[in-house]
Amino acid sequence: MAQYAVRASNITRGYGGRKALDGFSLDVPAACVFGLLGPNGSGKSTFIAMLAATEPPETGSLEILGGSPSRALRCRLATVFQENTADPLMRAGEYLRFAGRVFGVPSSELSTRIPELLERFGLGDRAADPVSSLSGGMRRRLEAARALLHRPELLLLDEPTTGIDAEERAILWETLRSSADAVTILLATNDLSEADAVCDSVAFIQGGRVVASGSPAQLKAGLRRESVRIAWPTASEGELAEVAGWPGTGEVARDGDIVVVTTDEASTFVPRLFALAPGAVRSVTIATASLEDAYFQHVQRRTGEASR
Amino acid sequence: MSAALVIARRDLLAVVRSRSQLYSSMLTPILFLVFLGNGVSHGLEPANLPDGNFTAYLVAGAVVMTSVFSSTFSSASYYRDRDSGVLRLLASAPVHPRVLLLGKSLAALAIGVVQAMAVLLLAAPFVDFEWQYGLVAGLFVSLAAIVLVNLMLTGLAQALASRIQTMQGFHLLMNLALFPLLFFSGAFFPIDGLPAWLRVLAFVNPLTYAVDALELAVYASGDATFIGLGVDFAVLAVLAAGTYLVGLARTPKLTYSGA
Repeated sequence: MAQYAVRASNITRGYGGRKALDGFSLDVPAACVFGLLGPNGSGKSTFIAMLAATEPPETGSLEILGGSPSRALRCRLATVFQENTADPLMRAGEYLRFAGRVFGVPSSELSTRIPELLERFGLGDRAADPVSSLSGGMRRRLEAARALLHRPELLLLDEPTTGIDAEERAILWETLRSSADAVTILLATNDLSEADAVCDSVAFIQGGRVVASGSPAQLKAGLRRESVRIAWPTASEGELAEVAGWPGTGEVARDGDIVVVTTDEASTFVPRLFALAPGAVRSVTIATASLEDAYFQHVQRRTGEASR
Repeated sequence: MSAALVIARRDLLAVVRSRSQLYSSMLTPILFLVFLGNGVSHGLEPANLPDGNFTAYLVAGAVVMTSVFSSTFSSASYYRDRDSGVLRLLASAPVHPRVLLLGKSLAALAIGVVQAMAVLLLAAPFVDFEWQYGLVAGLFVSLAAIVLVNLMLTGLAQALASRIQTMQGFHLLMNLALFPLLFFSGAFFPIDGLPAWLRVLAFVNPLTYAVDALELAVYASGDATFIGLGVDFAVLAVLAAGTYLVGLARTPKLTYSGA
């Protein structure tokens, strides 16, 4: 097995004069869960699409499972798209048989593989039901089962849990992780808590390029220990600059009425804040630094005004 | 009331901006007026019908019309697959887009042939067919003509469906292309009685040869006023092969793209 499932170097891809990927470079180690995090339009779905279609990039180099992109390579990949791909007029079992045959799985193997996967994803009694009768969460599980039919080595998940509830999400991930043991999973998501919980490594993407990457723990280690969310509608640029200059203060970012500050010691930071702006601070929430804090340290908010 | 007006305005704007809807609503009735009226006034006299039986005469046209509708509806499944996401899955599969087209066209062909043959066989008990070549040979000739015309129409529909973005646009083009062809094919009235300029149009119309072959197989008691099976099958075979191959060659843009 290759050391890296995906190696991308300086890739460019344009759509109608806009560069969706612009100098995109990324190495995805084999047999891990790797998260691509970034705002809408950052290029993560474009990269997933390029891998799913096994298309060579316009410029730069792309290596998938140790080889150059080619149609034959698609037998070793699987993609769970943002939208369902199951024909609502088909029955769940029929859909899996159709998808399995298209991906070259012998009919005899499907006869055992389909019931096994349906059972594993909690759909064992729904094989004969029309896809249209399945709930949103069940359809996502059906898509995941479909993706594993041909035993892929690289599983591409493009926001696979969008629109499903927390319980369904937990079931999906639990089953995926137990069913895809030696499989590399590349997950594109906007959900930072999901990425924090399931990913071994993540990359933050903005403007069509990777702006930071590493394990969630590594990325969080670069932060101050605590994150303070302050409801402070009247905060001025001068006040925020002063806060940013205090010893032990890390990032200071503003998002509307909320100011988010990372700091080494909230217990000394908060009294100082109230002394600076008496009566202007409406509330303060203190939390341990999360992947979200690391994300916002690297990825600029579109509507907020970063003060530092 | 103002909400109703706002909704009405929005719908009107949508219609004005969707040219296909505008044109298709008006063009089909105009085609009926100009071509069907002209053809019926010239051709629908018992003396112009080979056996004076208009119901029996219409069967060949009805069979070809079934093929037209069937190929159009079957190829429109391309849009259903796109909207349901199935095309997206196929775009990531290790098969060439032409294999996808081949599979879809085989289904369209099978449906078209079964439906057209069903119309022919359903009509048989109620219509006094001549079967001038005998029942078995007549059915074989009919089947061959039906296969060829469906192959041709499926190829045409597929070539259009894989390139036209909207289902409305696809239906508009198919209607615009195929309704005039149906009118001038001898499906509704004999082409013998038509004015010279309309007869010229009839003879460059591929559906004319399908209708002619079917009439010869099931209805005609002679072939004096018909084109003849040899010419019919030669024209149909060349056009069917050509159109079908063009349909398969028009590889659709099956890419999954996001941003």
